[in-house]
Amino acid sequence: MTNSPALPVARVTLQILIALNWLWGAAILTLLTATIVAEQWTFTALGITPSSWIPSVIMGLRAIAALGLVAIPLNYMVLRRLLAIVDTVREGDPFLAANALHLQAIAWLLLTLQLLSILVGVIARAISTPAHPVHVDAGFSVNGWLAVLLTFILARVFSAGALMREDLEGTV
Amino acid sequence: MAITVKLDDLLYARRMTLTELSERVDITLANLSILKTGKARAIRFSTLEAICAVLACQPGDLLEFEPDSVAAEQSRAA
Repeated sequence: MTNSPALPVARVTLQILIALNWLWGAAILTLLTATIVAEQWTFTALGITPSSWIPSVIMGLRAIAALGLVAIPLNYMVLRRLLAIVDTVREGDPFLAANALHLQAIAWLLLTLQLLSILVGVIARAISTPAHPVHVDAGFSVNGWLAVLLTFILARVFSAGALMREDLEGTV
Repeated sequence: MAITVKLDDLLYARRMTLTELSERVDITLANLSILKTGKARAIRFSTLEAICAVLACQPGDLLEFEPDSVAAEQSRAA
């Protein structure tokens, strides 16, 4: 199990995703700052002409960017905890109480991210007009909620596994 | 724990060391030591069988139930 190539691949992938997440956060922060510091220039660059400036649309776009920023530390916490779990699998002992707690935390974080996604979807739909349609990859996702459910179940499985492992350790 | 392991007494009676028993029952010295010091949470039938076979004893000779310690544990919990 420890020699499986899937684990080093998963570790590197998670590290890349952590770096990309921070880059993505920096990009959102830059965009959000630009919409405040150089409002006209930024919105013109985004294809929103001064004639179609509607305060609610501007505020909606800023709210979406702000929610995107909120998601960055949440993504980071999910990825860090996944990395910690992968490391324990590499060490050959994944059925630990700590991993059950990691998975439970990941499940709650994923649930929060799903709620954020729905909120972003609602805002995008509210500010979208036929003249200026707003396309964002957010909203209700069956797969996303399935992942939340599966992670909660997996956390319980790990919790039971950790107890069994503890019992086995004291067995002679 | 109300169950005590009397491995020490049995080994003394048989003039056998824990290392020797470990080699004969094919169980690690570390695991036998856990059993001897009463730190084990469970014992496999296969372990019990191997020890009983080598020491020529019954499981009852190896394990003892002490009702007094149950009462002590219950009074501690209360």
